[in-house]
Amino acid sequence: MSGLKGKDHGRPGYWRSLEALAGSESYRRHLDAEFLESVPETVPEVSRRRFLQVMSASIALATISGCRWPEEQIVPFGERPSGYVPGGKTHFASAFELDGIANGLLVTSQDGRPVKVEGNPQHPTSGGAADVFAQASLLGLYDPDRSRTPLRRSDGQTQPVAWKDFGTASGQWKAAIGSGRKFAVLSRTTSSPSVQLLRDELRSTYGDLEWVTYAPVFDEAGEMRAHLDLEAARIIVTLDSDLLVEHPNAVSNARQFTAGRRLDRPHMNRLYAFEPGYSATGTMADHRIPMAARDIPALLASLAAALFGGHGLQPPSGLRWLEAWRHHPTQSQTIDAITRDLLANQGHGLLVAGPRQPREVHELCQVLNQALGNTGHTVVYEESSPDPSTRPNLEALSRLVARMSSGEIEHLLILGANPVYDAPADLDFGTALEQVPNSVHLGGYDDETARACSWHLPMAHALESWDLSRAFDGTLTAVQPLIAPLYAGKTAAELLSLYADPAPRSAYQITKDTFHQLAGGTGPAPEKDAGFNERWHHFLHEGFLANSTTVPAESASGNAPRRLPGEAESPLGPENLELVLAPDRKVHDGRFANNAWLQELPDALSKLTWDNAALVAPALAEELSVSHGDVVTLGFHGREITLPVYVMPGQAHYSVSVSFGYGRTAAGRVGDGIGQNAYRLRTTERPWGGPGLTLTPTGDTYPLAITQDHHAIDERGAEERERRAGGLVRQGTLAEYREHPNFAEHLGTHHPPLVSMWSERESQGHRWGMAIDLNRCNGCNACIVACQSENNIPVVGKEQVANGREMHWLRLDRYFRGDPADPSVAQQPMACSHCELAPCEQVCPVAATLHNDEGLNVMVYNRCVGTRYCSNNCPTKVRRFNFFNYQKELTTTEKMAFNPEVTVRSRGVMEKCTFCVQRIELARIEAKNAGRAVRDGDVVPACAQTCPAGAIVFGDLNDPQSRVAQAAADQRAYAVLAELNIKPRTVYLAQIRNPNSALAAEHGGQSDAGAHGGHGAQDQGDHH
Amino acid sequence: MNTTAIETLDNTANDPTKPTPLVLGGHDLKSVTDKVCGIVERPRPPRAWYLAFAVSTALTGVLFAMIAYLVMTGVGVWGLNNPVGWGWAIVNFVFWVGIGHAGTLISAILFLLRQKWRTSINRFAEAMTIFAVVCAGIFPAIHVGRIWLVHWLFPIPNYQQMWPNFRSPLLWDVFAVGTYMLVSLMFWFMGMVPDLATLRDRATSKVRRMLYGFFALGWRGSHRHWHRYEKAYLILAGLATPLVLSVHSVVSFDFATSQLPGWHTTIFPPYFVAGAVFSGFAMVGTLLIPSRRWFGLKDFVTLYHLENMNKIILVTGSIVGYAYATEFFIAWYSGNLTEAFAFVNRAFGPYAWAYWIMVSCNVIAPQLFWFKKLRTTPAVMMVVYVLVNIGMWFERFVITVTSLSRDFLPSSWAYYQPTIVDILTFVGSFGLFFTLFLLFIRYLPMVAMAEVKTVMPVAHVSGESRPVGDYHGDIHIPKEDV
Repeated sequence: MSGLKGKDHGRPGYWRSLEALAGSESYRRHLDAEFLESVPETVPEVSRRRFLQVMSASIALATISGCRWPEEQIVPFGERPSGYVPGGKTHFASAFELDGIANGLLVTSQDGRPVKVEGNPQHPTSGGAADVFAQASLLGLYDPDRSRTPLRRSDGQTQPVAWKDFGTASGQWKAAIGSGRKFAVLSRTTSSPSVQLLRDELRSTYGDLEWVTYAPVFDEAGEMRAHLDLEAARIIVTLDSDLLVEHPNAVSNARQFTAGRRLDRPHMNRLYAFEPGYSATGTMADHRIPMAARDIPALLASLAAALFGGHGLQPPSGLRWLEAWRHHPTQSQTIDAITRDLLANQGHGLLVAGPRQPREVHELCQVLNQALGNTGHTVVYEESSPDPSTRPNLEALSRLVARMSSGEIEHLLILGANPVYDAPADLDFGTALEQVPNSVHLGGYDDETARACSWHLPMAHALESWDLSRAFDGTLTAVQPLIAPLYAGKTAAELLSLYADPAPRSAYQITKDTFHQLAGGTGPAPEKDAGFNERWHHFLHEGFLANSTTVPAESASGNAPRRLPGEAESPLGPENLELVLAPDRKVHDGRFANNAWLQELPDALSKLTWDNAALVAPALAEELSVSHGDVVTLGFHGREITLPVYVMPGQAHYSVSVSFGYGRTAAGRVGDGIGQNAYRLRTTERPWGGPGLTLTPTGDTYPLAITQDHHAIDERGAEERERRAGGLVRQGTLAEYREHPNFAEHLGTHHPPLVSMWSERESQGHRWGMAIDLNRCNGCNACIVACQSENNIPVVGKEQVANGREMHWLRLDRYFRGDPADPSVAQQPMACSHCELAPCEQVCPVAATLHNDEGLNVMVYNRCVGTRYCSNNCPTKVRRFNFFNYQKELTTTEKMAFNPEVTVRSRGVMEKCTFCVQRIELARIEAKNAGRAVRDGDVVPACAQTCPAGAIVFGDLNDPQSRVAQAAADQRAYAVLAELNIKPRTVYLAQIRNPNSALAAEHGGQSDAGAHGGHGAQDQGDHH
Repeated sequence: MNTTAIETLDNTANDPTKPTPLVLGGHDLKSVTDKVCGIVERPRPPRAWYLAFAVSTALTGVLFAMIAYLVMTGVGVWGLNNPVGWGWAIVNFVFWVGIGHAGTLISAILFLLRQKWRTSINRFAEAMTIFAVVCAGIFPAIHVGRIWLVHWLFPIPNYQQMWPNFRSPLLWDVFAVGTYMLVSLMFWFMGMVPDLATLRDRATSKVRRMLYGFFALGWRGSHRHWHRYEKAYLILAGLATPLVLSVHSVVSFDFATSQLPGWHTTIFPPYFVAGAVFSGFAMVGTLLIPSRRWFGLKDFVTLYHLENMNKIILVTGSIVGYAYATEFFIAWYSGNLTEAFAFVNRAFGPYAWAYWIMVSCNVIAPQLFWFKKLRTTPAVMMVVYVLVNIGMWFERFVITVTSLSRDFLPSSWAYYQPTIVDILTFVGSFGLFFTLFLLFIRYLPMVAMAEVKTVMPVAHVSGESRPVGDYHGDIHIPKEDV
């Protein structure tokens, strides 16, 4: 002890252990080691000034500031900033831009970190809805694989460097660039006015600068943008066009389309869809005709010929060639029906062609819309900017690549694009890039292109960026940061400013300056104009500039096409298949490949996760003797890839659909090696595929992770599935509905009167319930991602999905009905129905699931021991079990995406939809603080909030005025599996189709009510 | 002793003019004791015992390794998925509980029914019951997601101040199986007390004397002891008898009270009980046939005993077959299409292979026992017993998995496949079962000596043996014992 005394430095007080008292070396090491992990990761290149800038701006805008968990120092608030409620939620208007189209968002921030992305209800295109990509971008923000620091690559060496090193290097180049003859910028598609202004600035400095825009997803009719009003359209004809999901303005389209389908209006719209593979639009169509993409021009020509042939419609000049197409070989009846419909609804019809259709088809649509008087009512055409370099342009890209290969380009700036991965294969962008001495890549990830460039610079995530963008209708939309860049990310505008401005400006400054230019008038500089600041703050608060749409009052006129493309091609057959390339509904062009929410999201139609596949029609699969999971070689004009087959009902006979966005090699830990890279089949000549595809089985098989029909189904099972589907997803035609509005009641299983064995508890106060309108749901999957984000639902990975262990609380059941060559699709969002007589509750031995006072079937996680009996007894199988500790592997960064209001479930615990009980409680607290009752609409679960079609309604069933009570009282309402006497709280509203009676015989199979005829084949236990 | 006569003497003749001898080989009271105790008192067991013990303990090790892996990793190491929340673990549980039915049936119900032939096999069967229930008990405990909280299933005070949910059949299971385990254990042990005293008295080493002496509870064989013993035995038999019927009825409630098509049927309790007796007898037979051969117990476990068991197997097997048919008929007759599909799916769906294994093993195989030649040939019996064991495991598999894998919404249908962990856990449970059983035959009298003696002619005033009838009141008490 004498030694200890000697080491005591005279400090009075307490000591923790003898080692501490002695201050031994090992103790000090132990101390160092112990707290090593908590030493915050230093965030390079975030200066205090920059940090404060963002912070102060946020305070000014929304009275609140906060920036992730305090990382660098922990200084408790001496005085709490005014208005800041620890743990409280704040919302910021922002936007998410995809392929140049912004959708307005409202991002929820809690304690300084964004935790939920939703649509901005005021934004004209969003209306409160957000698509899967925007919502899942939240997870992308916290992706630990994001690029963290600038990288310098030379001689095969990769070196992390600082931004200032790049600043030095670029400063040296600026002098060398001169007129810009050897300088090129390759930008991903963006509508950021800041980028456009900076481009102009750059051009004025470097007159010979080559600016090319490229993204793999673009519209062939790039110079003409069709602004649709689907609400006004009564007859809609889509030609290989997925208006409801794939379209850049899908969120808005879905809302309008649904409005046009409302049954309480005199005209319910009618949708004809021609498409090679099933799309969301196809599932909603009243008549869907599977048709090879390359046969669609001919169909349209026949339709045009029919319309112009003696119905008083005046064809514009130069369309005489249409006469040759007068009689369509297979679809004359359909064309006849559509012709009559369109003529009867002049001014209320609409023809739309998809982005993959050749320009002539778009032109012919425009001509027809004009002739039918639709233009100006249901569609307005806007001529895009005359500068072709602002649009994705394959010709310009080819020219750039040629110049790169010949060594003409010395400085190449790649802004957010990943051409090494996603440029057409024939360009061989990677090889050309090797010839460029100074190539700079700005991107979120150290991806394929980054690895081939001499510099890689981290790009700020949208939720970290200041920027401006334009919505589909041109509305100027703000992109606001919710958090200072986690890593050293900068925006494209900031990087350009480094080149263009004498003194580089911050993203905030650039944005403000641009806004000033666009909407600030000609007043003094923004700092000095009080009026400007007010406008600016209002803009940021709202998230968009009202009335800034670019939709012209007068529709632009189009050209009449001179001929049809691809007239003389050889017929399709098993030896000459058609390849249909399309962006993926989950990972888009591949940029979301490292987003686990999206990878695990089941495709709406195929229910495929974690892979892409060659979608093959059942008849073709039979002809070629291939089946689900067989690996085939796809040969397309000398290029080939191998892919597993997915037999897809409703696929056009000789069309094989393949989505690109997979087969990434440098996406990150999640996305690497998932699926096959379909860009390898893509050429500048045939960017969307076309005839000339061969399919050869390799003899191998490959396991596909599918969330429905996990296993190839036997014939009896398939029959039974089809028999049951009619009672589960009830459908009728408009005529049947008008005649018998309550037809849906008769489609289910007939059962004796349902009597409870015990007296049911009366819910006093609120009785929360949900109604899902199947007439609105188009299967866009937005609700599933919303639920995943809101409720901290784990991602389990391909193997677990293949094993049937996906965790989504809300799933989308999809049933094909009728002929596999041309089936109709019924979709049904399915989550816990909170049954009044819940079968799960009675069997739980530890009473871990029970009803609360408001009738919610609640799950008590900390009481659950995991017998899984509740799941066994759940007739809808909506309960999900944590077979492992799925959240265990998450990094600290990823955990920041968690919603702090929802428990993260551990292994061995059952979970399921809670009706977003945390939102119910929040609404209750807010109402109580405001001294009022909870009103209808105060509680909106995540799924209902984001649904673009408004298919999900939630509220208090005890309030007869509530929307949900009214929906439940609708004559279309029915409960799924009501015969089990479970009394589900969730009711479904039957889907109504509006087929053309002239074609009813052809597509009669779509209607249950017709087949049913009161009491027929669907009956079950009909002994009452 | 006339050993040559044993081989030729057939006591299965069923000659009404003569009582059927239940013990052959001309045994007297002493030779019975010598024979049965001799097995336990051998200084070293036969080499085969060591071999079997080594294999069994190795498999037991596998069982515990699998359980440790499961506990550390999660229930996901099994093949379970979303619709199929219960897989092999529950199948194994029901399988083992079912097997555990034979012992109590033999010792309690046959006792009450005065079936004296039970005496040769009851100890054996009871031991098997205990071990089967031990194996069964493991599975529900380890199949829960949070094994460390499994005590919440018991009504014991806890910090959450919650009782379990008394409406849940799983809770009924806890009580039913727990009660059954306790009563069976008590019954088994109590019946063994006189024999343990015999072993104590014959013990040559101090350790044996102490241990057997401890468990013999001071048995001295006094009249008072016998009097109390027989009363207690009768009472326990009375208590155990309803349990034989209740345990598997309650286990069947796990399924029958759920609303899954194929589970939700009222036929389950009797059908499960019959199946349990069926499988239990088959398992007793599977163990008896080799044991009587290797340990020379053919004098006690005679062909007559085996034939009687086979008759029970034939009856219960036919009940089970009838139940299968009834299920199908009712599924069709009810007019409930979902129910009808559940059964069509069982027989012709993706699990048809399992269904037809079940039918062949459980319904067809026992029909061989209609033929006397076959039901008195040990080799044939052995084959049938093993088939019945397999078939009854598959019965539980078919019930549990086919209904779960395809229930109401076709969107959630999925196929279930076990993993290697599932398989090794099940195999390991056999290891535990046989380990316990081998220890039993090594250290405890596997034939109830005291009871066998009561059914020997020498024990009766008339000097005759009657296979059926009252044990008591006519026990011949030699004068010198008084």
